[in-house]
Amino acid sequence: MTAVFQPTDPAQATTAAATPAASLSSRLWVNTRGMLTPSVIAGLAILGLFVVIAIIGPYIAPDDPSATTAAILQGPSLHHLLGTTQTGQDVLSELLVGTRASMLVAFLAGAVATALAVLIGTASGLIGGLADELLSVLTNIFLVIPALPLAIVLAAYIPNGGEIALVIVISATGWSWSARVIRVQALSLRKRDYVLAARASGESRMRLIFVDTVPDLLPVIAIQFLSLVLFAILTEAGLAFLGLGGTGSWSWGNMLYWASEDTAWSQGAWWWFVPPGLCIALVGTSLALINFGADEVLNPRLRSARIARSNRASAAEPPSSAAGPELGAGPAAGDSDADVLLEVRNFTVTYRTDDGAVRAVRDVSFDLHRGEVLGIAGESGCGKTTLAYAICQIQRPPAVIEGGSLLYRPRADAAAPVDLLTMTAEDRSKYRWEEMAVVFQSAMNSLNPVIDVQNQLTDSLTSHRPDWTKQERNARAAEVLAMVGISGSRLHSYPHELSGGMRQRVAIAMALVLEPSIVIMDEPTTALDVVVQREIIEQLTELRHALKFSVIFITHDLSLLFEFADRIAVMYAGSIVELGKADRLYRQPAHPYTLGLGTCFPNVSGPLKTVRGIPGSPPDLRSLPDACPFEPRCGYRLPVCGTRQPQLTFGRPPLHDQTLVACFLHDPEQAASLPAGLIPGQASNA
Amino acid sequence: MRYYARRVGFYLLAAWAAITINFLLPRLMPGNPVEVLLARLKGHLSPQATNALEIQFGLAHHTSLVHEYVSYLNQLAHGQLGISITYFPTPVSTVIGEALPWTVFLVGFATIISFIVGTLLGIIVGWKRGSRLDVLLPATTFLSAVPYFWLALLAVLLFGYVLKWFPTSGGFGLTDTIGFNLPFIESAISHAVLPAVTIILASIAGWVLSMRNMMVTVLGEDYVALAEAKGLPRRRIIMTYGARNAILPNVANFALSLGFIVSGAILTEAVFAYPGIGYLLFEAVSNEDFPLAQAIFLVITIAVLVANLLADVVYGMLDPRARQGEA
Repeated sequence: MTAVFQPTDPAQATTAAATPAASLSSRLWVNTRGMLTPSVIAGLAILGLFVVIAIIGPYIAPDDPSATTAAILQGPSLHHLLGTTQTGQDVLSELLVGTRASMLVAFLAGAVATALAVLIGTASGLIGGLADELLSVLTNIFLVIPALPLAIVLAAYIPNGGEIALVIVISATGWSWSARVIRVQALSLRKRDYVLAARASGESRMRLIFVDTVPDLLPVIAIQFLSLVLFAILTEAGLAFLGLGGTGSWSWGNMLYWASEDTAWSQGAWWWFVPPGLCIALVGTSLALINFGADEVLNPRLRSARIARSNRASAAEPPSSAAGPELGAGPAAGDSDADVLLEVRNFTVTYRTDDGAVRAVRDVSFDLHRGEVLGIAGESGCGKTTLAYAICQIQRPPAVIEGGSLLYRPRADAAAPVDLLTMTAEDRSKYRWEEMAVVFQSAMNSLNPVIDVQNQLTDSLTSHRPDWTKQERNARAAEVLAMVGISGSRLHSYPHELSGGMRQRVAIAMALVLEPSIVIMDEPTTALDVVVQREIIEQLTELRHALKFSVIFITHDLSLLFEFADRIAVMYAGSIVELGKADRLYRQPAHPYTLGLGTCFPNVSGPLKTVRGIPGSPPDLRSLPDACPFEPRCGYRLPVCGTRQPQLTFGRPPLHDQTLVACFLHDPEQAASLPAGLIPGQASNA
Repeated sequence: MRYYARRVGFYLLAAWAAITINFLLPRLMPGNPVEVLLARLKGHLSPQATNALEIQFGLAHHTSLVHEYVSYLNQLAHGQLGISITYFPTPVSTVIGEALPWTVFLVGFATIISFIVGTLLGIIVGWKRGSRLDVLLPATTFLSAVPYFWLALLAVLLFGYVLKWFPTSGGFGLTDTIGFNLPFIESAISHAVLPAVTIILASIAGWVLSMRNMMVTVLGEDYVALAEAKGLPRRRIIMTYGARNAILPNVANFALSLGFIVSGAILTEAVFAYPGIGYLLFEAVSNEDFPLAQAIFLVITIAVLVANLLADVVYGMLDPRARQGEA
C-alpha cells in the first residue's frame, strides 16, 4: 500500500497551472478533463457500488446481523448466501450492515485528516518563515513516527469511544504525508503573481488561503483525500482487528476480529473472513485505481507510457526505407553522392496522443555534406527538436517514426550507404556515438546528476573501445575536457557543481570523445547568456576546423545560423519550407516565413532594420488542412495557397539553383499572376 | 557532513517528540485506566515500582508536571520502562528485550527481500513500459490495497489448515530450546516462513508500483535519451542512468513505507501469534497493559528512526546533491 501514498516525489506532483482568472468550475473542468481513463472508470464504479451498499445495506440485509441461530458455521447455501458464524449469525447480513460503519469511518476520518492536512500544509506553504519551519518539522516528525502503533496506543485509552473516537485517532495519525504534499504545492503557488498581488494588497491570510489558493490546490487535495480514505479504511480494519474498534457495532474490521477470535481458519470457515477482507481490498483497489489515473494526468510521462502501449501494435511495422522518390531530381541533385554523409528522405515523425496523431515532422528530406554545418531553424514547436531526437532514433514515446529513410555513408568510397533505420540493434549500438553524437539544449538535463563527469565521459569509451585500459580512458576524458577549455580537476565534479556554461562544454566534450563524423546540436547555447554563448560558438568553430566533423545545428536563432552555418533549412509546422546556402538566405530570404524569422532578431553588426515578429501563431499539427500551413499568417498569400500544399522545389532564377523553397510565389505556374517585385527572394534584388 | 548532522539532529528531535507524546498521552486522555490498575495491584508492588508507575502515568498528584517530566526522562535514561501487567512482575524492558530480536529478524528480513525484489520488478516493468508486462499493474494495485492481516488469515487457512505445510502459530516448536542449535533454527525458520511471505506479499506491490512510476518518469529525461544515443549497453542505461535516479524518491520516502510495513507486521504477528513485539502489543492492548503498550510504541518508533537514519546514509551515498547539503 506504500505506492498509494507516494505517487511521486511531492515536488513532481505539480498540477497543471490553472489561470486564476478562470472560474472555479472551468478550472476544475480543465483539471479533470481527460482523467476518465479505464482505470479511473473502474475505480469509480467499484467505489460507487460500495457507497450504494453503505446507504441501503441495512435495509436489504436478509437477517439481523446480531441474531444468533442454531445454524452455526454453515458454509454458503441458498438460505445463507455467505454462510454463518460460530454463533449462527448470517455473514452476508453482517457484511451489508458493516459496510455502512466501515465506509462512514473511512470517509469521515479521510475528510477530517484532509482538512487537517490542508490547514497545516497551506499555512506552512503560504505563510513561510518561522511558521513554515515549525510546521514542517511537526509534519516531518509525524511522518517518521509509525502511524498504527500510535493509533493503537491512542485507541487503547478510549476503549469505548465508538466511531467518533476512531475518526479522531485515525485522522490524528494519518495527516502528515498529505500535509507535506500540499505544502509543496502551496509553496509553488505562493510564488505566482496573483498570490503575490493578493498579499501586496493586504488581503487577510485566511482569505488568501481559502479563497485564492485552495481552489488551485483542489486536484491535489482530492487525491490526498482518496489516499487518506484508503489509509483510514485500512487503519480502522487494523484497529478493529485488534479489538479496538468498539466491538458493539458491525464493521468489516469487527467481523475479521470475531473471525480471528473464534479461529475461523482452524475450522475451515473461509466464508467468514474472506468476504470482509475482500471488501476492504476492493474499496482500497478502487481508491488506488482512481489515484493511479490522477497520477497519469499530473505526470504526463506516465500517460505517454500508456499511450505507447495502446499504439504499440500499429507502431511495430518498421518504417519503409524505400520511401525516397526521385532522388535525382530531389534535394540531392547537384551533389555527388560521395560528398553526402547523411541522407534524410521523406522523414515523418508522429506523436500518437489521446487527442489524435500530432504530425510533428512531416516528409522532411535533406542531405548533410561532409564537413559542413547545416543549420535547422524555426519557431518553438516547429518539430526541429523532434527531428533531432528522431535522427538519433531516441524519440520518446508517444513519438513514432512513421516513415522515410536515414542513409549514412561512412566513407566517400563506400559502395552502399547504411540504412540507419533498418540496421540491427547490435550494429546500431556500435554506430551510435562512434559516428553520430548529440548535444542537447539543456545540459543540466542531459547530464546524469548522480555520476561524476569522468564517468560520463568514459562510459562511451568503455563500450566502444573495450580494449582500452582505464588509464587510457581517463586520459582521453581529460584530453577532451581540455579541448573545451575545462581543467582536469573538474573530472570528479558532479553536474550540479558546474556552472551552466561549463555543463554545456562538458556535454560538447562528451560528444567529441569518440571523434564522430556527425554532431547534432539542439539549441546548445540557448539557455546561456550571450557572452558564454559567443565563447562556445567560437570554440565550436575551432574544434570543427581541427576535427572536421559535420554539424546539424538546430536553433530558433536564425541570425546565429547566418554566421555559423554553411547551409540553412528553415522549418515550419513540421516541414522544411526553405533550404539553401546561409549567405543566400541572409541576403535573399525566399520564403515569406524565412523573411519573417530574419526580422525577428536584431543584428548588432549589420545595418539597422525594424525588428518585427510574425503575426499569429503556428497551426495545430493535429489537423493540418490541405493548404500551405503558413497561409493564415502570410502577408504574400495568393488564392492558390489556401487550396493545396506547396512542394519543396527549386526556386526560380535569380535564386541560386541549389535553393529549395516550398512556396507558390516561386512556382512557375503561378508566375503569370504575380506582379513583379512581390516575390521576397527577388524583391531585395530589385 | 552537514547533511548527516542535520539528519541525526532531526531524528533526535523526533525521538524526543515521541518520548514526550508518550509522557503526555496518559495525562491528556479522559479517565486514567492505569489508576484502576494500580489500585488492583496494591500490595503486590514495591513502593519504588508504584512510584515509577505514578510518574509514568501522571498519578503522582503531589508533584508538578515539570518535575514529573524530569523524573520520567531520568527513568527512561536508565532503561526503566515500568513493570508489565501481562507478565507481572517482569519489567517491561525484559519483556520487550525477549520479543525484539524476533521482530527485527522477521520484519528486517521481509522488508529487505520485499524492497530488493519489488524494486527490481519495478525497474523491469518500468523499462518495458507499454509492453504486456503492464497487465501486472492492476494486480499489483489490488495487492497494494490488501490488509496484511487478511492475507495472513488466508495464508494460515491455505498453507496451515488445508495443506498443512507450515506451522501457523508461534515462533518455534514448544519442544525446542532457544539457542544456537540446529533443531531450534530449523523450527524458527519454518515458523517464520508464513509471516514473512505475508509481509513480503503485502508490501512488495508498493515498491513495484512506485519504482515503476519513477522509472517511467526518469526514462523520459534527456540524460537517458543521451545514454541511448551513446550506444551504451542496455544494462548500464537501465541501472546507472535509469534506476540509480529512479530509486532516489523511494529511499527518500523510506520512512513512510517503513511505517506502513511495520504497522502491517504488527497485525501479521498478531495473526500468527509470532513472539515479536507486534504480538506483544496485541497482548498488551488486550490486557490493558499500558506500561507495556506505551513502551512498545516507543521502541517501535525508535527502531523506525534508526532504520530511517540508515536509509538517509544510503541516500547520501546515492545522491551527491544531498551529501553536499543542498537537501
